[in-house]
Amino acid sequence: MASRESGRVKESEKRRVLDDAARKRRARKAIEALEQDNFHEDPHADLVMSKKVPKFADSNEKPTRKKKTRSAEYYKMRFRKTFAQLVEEDASSRSEPPNYLSAQVPPSKFPDRHFCAVCGFPSNYTCIPCGARYCSVKCLGTHLDTRCLKWTA
Amino acid sequence: MSETSCYILDNGGYTAKVGFSTTNEPKIVPNCIMKAKSERRRPFIASQIDECRDASGLFYILPFQKGFLINWDTQKTVWDFIFSKECCPVNFSEAPLIITEPLFNFSSIQEAMTEIFFEEYECQSLLRINATDLAEYHYRKLNSNESTVVVDSGYSFTYIVPYIKGKKYKDGIRRIDVGGKVLTNHLKEIISYRQLNVMDETYVINQVKEDSCFVSQDFMADMEIAKTRGSENTIVKDYVLPDYTTIRRGYLRDVVKPDEDLEQQTLRLNNERFSIPELLFRPSDVGIPQMGIPEAIMEAIGACPEENKESLLENIVLYGGCTLFPGFRDRVYNEVRAFALDHYDVNVTLADNPLTYPWEGGKFLFKDPEFYSFCMTKEEYEEEGKALAFERFDI
Repeated sequence: MASRESGRVKESEKRRVLDDAARKRRARKAIEALEQDNFHEDPHADLVMSKKVPKFADSNEKPTRKKKTRSAEYYKMRFRKTFAQLVEEDASSRSEPPNYLSAQVPPSKFPDRHFCAVCGFPSNYTCIPCGARYCSVKCLGTHLDTRCLKWTA
Repeated sequence: MSETSCYILDNGGYTAKVGFSTTNEPKIVPNCIMKAKSERRRPFIASQIDECRDASGLFYILPFQKGFLINWDTQKTVWDFIFSKECCPVNFSEAPLIITEPLFNFSSIQEAMTEIFFEEYECQSLLRINATDLAEYHYRKLNSNESTVVVDSGYSFTYIVPYIKGKKYKDGIRRIDVGGKVLTNHLKEIISYRQLNVMDETYVINQVKEDSCFVSQDFMADMEIAKTRGSENTIVKDYVLPDYTTIRRGYLRDVVKPDEDLEQQTLRLNNERFSIPELLFRPSDVGIPQMGIPEAIMEAIGACPEENKESLLENIVLYGGCTLFPGFRDRVYNEVRAFALDHYDVNVTLADNPLTYPWEGGKFLFKDPEFYSFCMTKEEYEEEGKALAFERFDI
């Protein structure tokens, strides 16, 4: 049975098209990446590193500043809260606006502009599988060879 | 109780501006710890980075996350350095301290600030205040105006804060989650995709951004110029990267013909030069669903009482690292002018020195006859505790 199918049908089935949720997830990841302090191959490994202060422990530079003052380590433990915890805490204790969350500006009234994901110039076309923008056949080729469906999931 | 000078620390997410009110200008030191690939033995705290010979592949450890003080151990280390002989020594029992905090600072961070300065650093008198308050005070001292819109475009985000008769109008405060960090990261991302992998080179790419980017006055027209080839294209430039032997800081130069190759490592910058700062005006270009600065200024003013709008539009002041891009003020002015009703005057001022504007505001504030009534003393802290700090400081 299978041998009687046309090659093209098979190919089109193979071609994956990202659904809306996956596209949104990608977009969110891209925005989160803009907030990172350091980049490495693996952004998750990096996240851990920036929290745990990398490579510091094995060097001799532990904040061993003599004095009888409290060490930096003490304050790390004393005021240990992540950004997400703080936002949550703020939302419950200062629930009436104005607060941190209410101060964020709403979306613009102007329509979004679109730029080629490859060269950055204004684009008119959308990549069917992943929804990225491109401006010309040349840029589409580059896009398909490099990023389309290839980075992250 | 009146000391002759006061210690002012504008504690930013990327740089701290620090110095005594008697000095002409503050020291600007990075508010972070950095670790270089080339020097494995030691981390560089704040301005120690000047001693680092090879700043490629710098690893950053910042006390601030999204504009808020989160990593206290890092901050403590940096503060210890700043207050030491190496940087800007101070005796807090002799000089009052003005320190800045972000708007809507979370209450547990505020408590921690009060505690650390009274108990650890043993401050005699302390004033915790928003940097925008100092900037507004600075502007009001020079212009004696009624209302001001302060635009602070810094490292972590951009805040727009309307002030009416010297008080911030909290319902009108607006924040755009775009600042210098987002711009640098975005530039890094597109250069890495298009030309050369620079994902680990935050420090260098930040300099590329500072040296080559500008704010376009007509974005689509500049895009057309950037598309052209040859001498018509006045935008395309090469950025010579630092090699840390002969070149310590990179610079922008004209494109040369391939046969005149100077054996330097360069980045070709074309539409990158203006599409990066453009994010401040259109965050939606990278998918951040927020307004740009001029639209947000109008939104902030729109939330204020009708009778103050005229005065607010006439007194818009810009400061912060991102305002240093050439063309920034003109673009803000042109767009606000276009949005505002015709019969209003619009005035947009770029601070004389956008990085130190709030710090200088602190100098003016110290001379205010009522200065000490804004402060909290160690005795008061010991008597009444942290609750008083919440009453006194309007963060």
